[in-house]
Amino acid sequence: MVLLRSFIPPLGMLLLAAGQAGAQGVLIDRSEIRFMSKQMGVNVEGRFRRWKANIVFLPKDLAASKADFEIDLGSIDLASDEAETEIKRPLWFDTVKYPTAKFVSSAVRNTGMDKYEVAGALTIKGVTRDAVVPIAMKKDAAGNSVAEGSFALKRLDFKVGEGEWADPDTVANEVVVRVRMVLPPVR
Amino acid sequence: MTAATRIGARYTTTAIALHWLIAALIVGGFTLGLSMVELPLSRQKLQWYAWHKWIGITVFLLSCIRLAWRWGHPPPLHSPAMPRWQVRAAHWAHGLLYALLLVIPLTGWLFSSASGVQVVYLGLVPLPDLLPKDKALAGVFRVCHVGLNFTLLALVCMHVAAALKHHFVDGDAVLTNMWPAAPSKPPH
Repeated sequence: MVLLRSFIPPLGMLLLAAGQAGAQGVLIDRSEIRFMSKQMGVNVEGRFRRWKANIVFLPKDLAASKADFEIDLGSIDLASDEAETEIKRPLWFDTVKYPTAKFVSSAVRNTGMDKYEVAGALTIKGVTRDAVVPIAMKKDAAGNSVAEGSFALKRLDFKVGEGEWADPDTVANEVVVRVRMVLPPVR
Repeated sequence: MTAATRIGARYTTTAIALHWLIAALIVGGFTLGLSMVELPLSRQKLQWYAWHKWIGITVFLLSCIRLAWRWGHPPPLHSPAMPRWQVRAAHWAHGLLYALLLVIPLTGWLFSSASGVQVVYLGLVPLPDLLPKDKALAGVFRVCHVGLNFTLLALVCMHVAAALKHHFVDGDAVLTNMWPAAPSKPPH
């Protein structure tokens, strides 16, 4: 059952798993994909303004649960316009050739109480790597499920920041991605 | 009347050292700020931003120390020959200069926080982010930071012009009282 509610954002911002049992949609304006990197030892935070998610979370049927994402890399929000322009260039994301990053889940498992692990394949700039995202689930006052998780990726695995930018002393190799998804209740 | 408040007395060595140290730092920080924004994104640019922020935080800390010191060690009194309006103008100009020395680094820090960039003082001491990342607010603080810096530039020009006028036109001790070395003979 697909639940369409008035908060559902403009077309294209939300990918619905039409016809799929338990597809929930995501409260997109309360959900976020942020990341933290280090530039010369200084934490620098950013986020993506546009992404699509197809999330099915069924605590009693984890085999049928999934979390797939498609992130518009050109929608990145960084410290400055200059940095946003730079990161779209070929040495970084190369958004002309690779406009989106994808995460396709392969398994969701319970790791105790409200803790879960979502395993899947992360594709950035044509490179696919396995990733495991630990998630903590909780309910908010409105009965929505709030999933929060973070994981670290190595940008150089995905050739993000090549050439003069490959030096991890300038921009650290490790990037911590933080995901917060607010899922309306399944009825 | 104590030595520190006697007419014509010099500033204390500490006050003189802090004045010139802060002066050098704001000239350096201002010049670096103008230059760094012109650089293309590079390791050098990130390094210059870091140095600019360290200078700003240092100016803030030294200005706090300076104000505390000034509170315990009042500056020399103005000469009774100085017209009333000049005394008043000097009072306000100095108050504004001190305010800018504190507020400008703060707007820079707020700008950095709102941009989502942490400030790590001297590369060693991570300072707390004053605000969560907010691009619109970052734009506001950027305008404040730049605008206040040019206000400071105008005030510093006035400050220098007034000091030179006191020294060369009025022939009084206003400049020599703050000069690092005491004059070998009285200015008049």
